[in-house]
Amino acid sequence: MKAQSVAAYLLPVGCLVAGCSDAQSVLNPHGAEAESIALLFWITAIGGALIWLAVVGALIYAGRRHRKPYSQASAARLVLWAGAVVPSILLAVLLGYALALIPDLRPLAASADDDRLHIEVIGEQFWWRVIYHPPDGQPVVSANEVRLPVGERVTFSLKSTDVIHSFWIPPLGGKMDMIPGRTNTFSLKATKAGIFRSPCTEFCGPSHALMAFTAVAMKPGRFDRWLANEGKEAVNGKPGLKPFLANGCGACHAIRGTEADGAVGPDLTHLASRKTLAAGSLPNTEDAIARFIAEPDEVKPGVRMPAFGMLPQDEIDAIAAYLARLE
Amino acid sequence: MKLNVNRHRIAVRINWKYIAIGLAVLPFAAVFVAWLGFFNIGAASGHWRITELFLQLAMRSAVRTYAIGIEEPEAFDRGAILPAAGHFARGCATCHGAPGEPRPAMVKAMLPRPPRLERAVHAWDDAQLFRIVKRGIRFTGMPAWPTQMRDDEVWGMVAFLRRLPDLDPEEYRNLAYGPAKRSRASGFNGSFDAALAGCARCHGMDGLGRSAFVPVIAGQHRAYFVESLRAYAAGERASGIMELAATEADRKLWQRLAEYYASLPATEDEQSAADAERIARGRRIAQYGVPRRDIPACLGCHGRPDRNPVYPQLDGQKRPYLENQLRLFAEGERGGTDYAHLMTEFASRLERKEIESLAAYFASRQVQRGKAE
Ligand code: HEC
Ligand code: HEC
Ligand code: HEC
Ligand code: HEC
Ligand SMILES: [Cu+2]
Repeated sequence: MKAQSVAAYLLPVGCLVAGCSDAQSVLNPHGAEAESIALLFWITAIGGALIWLAVVGALIYAGRRHRKPYSQASAARLVLWAGAVVPSILLAVLLGYALALIPDLRPLAASADDDRLHIEVIGEQFWWRVIYHPPDGQPVVSANEVRLPVGERVTFSLKSTDVIHSFWIPPLGGKMDMIPGRTNTFSLKATKAGIFRSPCTEFCGPSHALMAFTAVAMKPGRFDRWLANEGKEAVNGKPGLKPFLANGCGACHAIRGTEADGAVGPDLTHLASRKTLAAGSLPNTEDAIARFIAEPDEVKPGVRMPAFGMLPQDEIDAIAAYLARLE
Repeated sequence: MKLNVNRHRIAVRINWKYIAIGLAVLPFAAVFVAWLGFFNIGAASGHWRITELFLQLAMRSAVRTYAIGIEEPEAFDRGAILPAAGHFARGCATCHGAPGEPRPAMVKAMLPRPPRLERAVHAWDDAQLFRIVKRGIRFTGMPAWPTQMRDDEVWGMVAFLRRLPDLDPEEYRNLAYGPAKRSRASGFNGSFDAALAGCARCHGMDGLGRSAFVPVIAGQHRAYFVESLRAYAAGERASGIMELAATEADRKLWQRLAEYYASLPATEDEQSAADAERIARGRRIAQYGVPRRDIPACLGCHGRPDRNPVYPQLDGQKRPYLENQLRLFAEGERGGTDYAHLMTEFASRLERKEIESLAAYFASRQVQRGKAE
């Protein structure tokens, strides 16, 4: 077999392992937790491969022609060492190594440390409410996107209002369940900047597969500027605000700086600064916003937003144009 | 097959082939006889006594059987009797007559003849009356209730039928026609005044509604008013009572009726002090919703003066009516305009106590007069 064709066979296998997309791959670590998990994975995988080779080698050796049978005593010794002692030692070492990783992956006192950024993420069918609590300053409400500064450990508290969801940023770490009536805490530290896709990893209803947030690890300075902007009120005065309010979007959505102060759905104050729309379901463009307003139930079955397709098209377009400019 | 009887041999041969042929031919024979047309279907001569007894037996037994398992509401609400009486005057009295009102002679020639209900209702219990009024009676001309979606109106009618035997003509006229005081129910068609008088029988000339279950339509948005009439007439909003009223009033008059009622002042319900706590609870939900359970802030849609004109005015509306509508939304039976699903989406998550609080709050709210859309 030529080297090329070997590569052609291995590629899909590698793809399978990596989840085919770097943005959602544990083998593309950008955080302290993910790095230690990735290292553990490679040690296990390579170690397993070596052991497999040794076993197959022994099999071929045992099956050769003109072989002489081992004596009873040396056969018993071989079984004892290769079958019991060595595997037990290897597994014990591996177990010890993995157990030693746990304290760093799940720092028990994660929430005790008050002078670091704390991000509250609440899973709701089928989107994410995200509230930033900077150590000094007002909480900032956002949705469907989690941004964090590189090099700083960030505390997460995870909640749910309806059913169990699960929080996981594969290249950074996780995963931890979001359980109604409970607050689960843990922490993450990004080591490199990047943009990741983070799917909900606990089946939560008809649109479970359409419930993902974007995670963005960014340089601390840029993060601070972003957070400062996210905390500001919306820039106002576009004609689309009027139909937005008149049709009652404000009963469910907040746009800070306007009369809209609903708390049922995502905060839309800076909708346009998000990478995707409706928790990873659509690209964040003006057309997609108009489509989502008209037929959210077609985009996301079981969505908790009623369809507004009965509005005149020009009102839908005006609202979409307004929202698409809320940077 | 052979039968041996005593010592004589009587052979009875049943030839299965002939039976099969006979059965196959029978339906064609029946159609042929019907086609010949000798069967008398005329109503004038009436039924043979035996046919009549048989039909009566079949009808009464069927009603009795089908009424098993119908759950009666705990108590009939007296407010529901008035719109039922108004409906009776237009929808039932033609056939069944009413106190002080004879029926057209034509009706007496129907077969079977519709009975005077003052005398007939005693024979039935409430569940049986419910069954008859809701589903009608086949082959007799007794129609079903115009919508099968909701039961509360039918129970209102049952409550009215129970009152009927005790009503003298004056009391009946007062219930069914009210201030219009016409001796007979007027048709809606034709002039605006006649149509208005028709609506006023239930809604009053002041639009405040003559009972707790007839909504205030004074000061209601015109767009919502007209869209609601359209939805009633098309069967998209379930109400047997309003379906009849909306289809009888000339479509061309709807806009004028809407304008007339929109221009009238709505007054607020008087609330007793005991309700203060309930109203406060309702206000909280109306202002902030219950985000935890995805219940939106009602005022975001119903409270803004500049709102979409199809979003109805709830301020000063009647409490029992509001409670009833929220219950209908929650059960998916309300229907309405093209916007009605905005309500259905969350109404099923409202608890009974919340519905009561919200109804109390909106009933107590001072009417916010915005741009009179
Ligand atoms: C009854 C509550 C409700 C009303 C009314 C409502 N929405 Fe929503 N909306 C939601 C919910 C819940 C979501 C989250 C859907 C999801 O992704 O699962 C949402 C999501 C959205 C999003 C996507 C947000 C994001 O972060 O990507 C947009 C845009 C939006 N709504 C616009 C509107 C507009 C415009 C109106 C008025 C015409 C409106 N909504 C009315 C509940 C509502
Ligand atoms: C088109 C004529 C017609 C109209 C309109 C009509 N009915 Fe009837 N109804 C009948 C006839 C005919 C019967 C008799 C059926 C029988 O005896 O089998 C009947 C029977 C009944 C009975 C059973 C009485 C009995 O003892 O047989 C009740 C109750 C009743 N109607 C109520 C109503 C109500 C309430 C309305 C109005 C919503 C109404 N009907 C409208 C024709 C009508
Ligand atoms: C027999 C009594 C009766 C008559 C006559 C009647 N209505 Fe009604 N109307 C009602 C009842 C009862 C309701 C509530 C129905 C429901 O539950 O949906 C109602 C509801 C309405 C509504 C909807 C109100 C809301 O807030 O949603 C409008 C509008 C209305 N009526 C207009 C009219 C007009 C116009 C006429 C005359 C053409 C008329 N009605 C005749 C009893 C009547
Ligand atoms: C997103 C906008 C919206 C929100 C939020 C909303 N409503 Fe409505 N509501 C409507 C519309 C539109 C209608 C008219 C439905 C129809 O008949 O087509 C309506 C109708 C109603 C009616 C029936 C009125 C009548 O006259 O028959 C009641 C009662 C009502 N709403 C109560 C509430 C309550 C209580 C809340 C808060 C828990 C609420 N609504 C929140 C849009 C809304
Ligand atoms: Cu989920």
